Amino acid sequence: MKIEKDNLLDKLREARKGGFDYLVKITAVDYLDHLEVIYFLRNMSNKKEENIRVEIKNGDALPSIVEIYKAADFYERELSEMFGIEILGRKINRLLLEKWDGIDAPLRKSFVWGSAYKSD
Amino acid sequence: MLTKINVGPIHPSTHGVLRLVVTLDGDTIVNVEPHIGFLHRGVEKLAENRMYMQNESYMEKIDYAAPMAYSDLYVAALEEAMGIQTKERAKYVRLILLEFQRIASHLLWLGTFCNDLGQMFTMFMWTMKDRDLILNLLQDVTGSRMFYVNMRLGGVSIDLPPNFEEHAKKLLDYLEKRLKEYEVYLEKNPIFIERTKNVGTLKRNDAIELGVTGPVLRASGVNFDVRRDYSYYVYDKLHFIPQVQTRGDVFARYRVRMLEMRESIKLIRDALKSMPEGDALGMPVKLISPPVKESEVKVRRELPRGEGMIFMVADKQRPYRLSIRAPAFINLSSLRQIAIGERYADLFAILGSLDLVMADVDR
Repeated sequence: MKIEKDNLLDKLREARKGGFDYLVKITAVDYLDHLEVIYFLRNMSNKKEENIRVEIKNGDALPSIVEIYKAADFYERELSEMFGIEILGRKINRLLLEKWDGIDAPLRKSFVWGSAYKSD
Repeated sequence: MLTKINVGPIHPSTHGVLRLVVTLDGDTIVNVEPHIGFLHRGVEKLAENRMYMQNESYMEKIDYAAPMAYSDLYVAALEEAMGIQTKERAKYVRLILLEFQRIASHLLWLGTFCNDLGQMFTMFMWTMKDRDLILNLLQDVTGSRMFYVNMRLGGVSIDLPPNFEEHAKKLLDYLEKRLKEYEVYLEKNPIFIERTKNVGTLKRNDAIELGVTGPVLRASGVNFDVRRDYSYYVYDKLHFIPQVQTRGDVFARYRVRMLEMRESIKLIRDALKSMPEGDALGMPVKLISPPVKESEVKVRRELPRGEGMIFMVADKQRPYRLSIRAPAFINLSSLRQIAIGERYADLFAILGSLDLVMADVDR
């Protein structure tokens, strides 16, 4: 299901009320001109699954969904670190992995694999 | 007054490189902050830069305690993307090897878990010895003890050797006997019971809320197992019952894994009985990949540590994006919730019961 960025929280709250109580994963795909963020949800009682997709432009921020799904905590931090997506409204903003100099958003296509390596 | 204690990144009980910043009030844990990333290798980025079949060997290094489970997950994703059917016999062969891998992984966990409880190295040596026998068997099949790389598109690289069934049955009988002994040693030991029962309780609703998976989820009373609920290979044809406990404490997690090993033994026996004759060999490795049919695939597998998922956006020769849901990663994120309010000495019992492999957490 593709939705607009502004409807994200409402849609997730709706899904949560509709029985999708388990967040499987949040991930993103870099399509160069835009990013697609995907929320994988599951209904634990009847094992149905639902993907919620949000298209965002480079530099757009997303709201935090920790208050709806607590499991989102690590995934959101991973997302903002790996894709450089700013997540608004988080209590803990410390990076999940450690930060290295000269590398930000390593999973974006703009980061070329091996380019950060410097020989002494 | 609150005290802050730093644990790790090098610490015997963190199973690798995990740093915890623990805030204590007296002896009670107020907050735990896991710092991860010391073992981050950027597997997902690496995968985007390699050909499809080059990635398989790299996937195994994500979880060094159960490498075959990960290569199976990855190859299953490729098969789905390329529309390749797994051969009937290969399904059985994979299932048998994967269940052996699960027992080996759980045995390794049992040994290290007992180390965490302060029962230094007696149990560890016993379980490692038993695990070694499984590795010997897997070596007979694949030629390798640690990283097997024996999954191929549509099947496996080498079929089971002629004497496999006999060896496997002997080993299963032995393991069954040993597991019974271990249960008696541990469950009649008042110290073990004292350190595990009613420690680190995770309630059913919290477990779903926090997204934990695998044995941790089932120990909290959630009857969910990918092998049954999104059945793959021939799990639905064999008599398979997911093992569920309701207490949600460290003991329940121990119990789930012990019962799972028994269930795996039953599964392997069943599979050996009903395995069809025929061809199990997959396609030989070619760097030029077969044409991709599906551009987006999502595959789930029940790994020893929990539900693993690969979401792949496929390209011609390489994955455009390979996103891995690592079970240990999400289980670690529940540590804070479980540990708050517990004693500091119990932190390592809880940490051990989550069965973390740091390579899996960091990827």
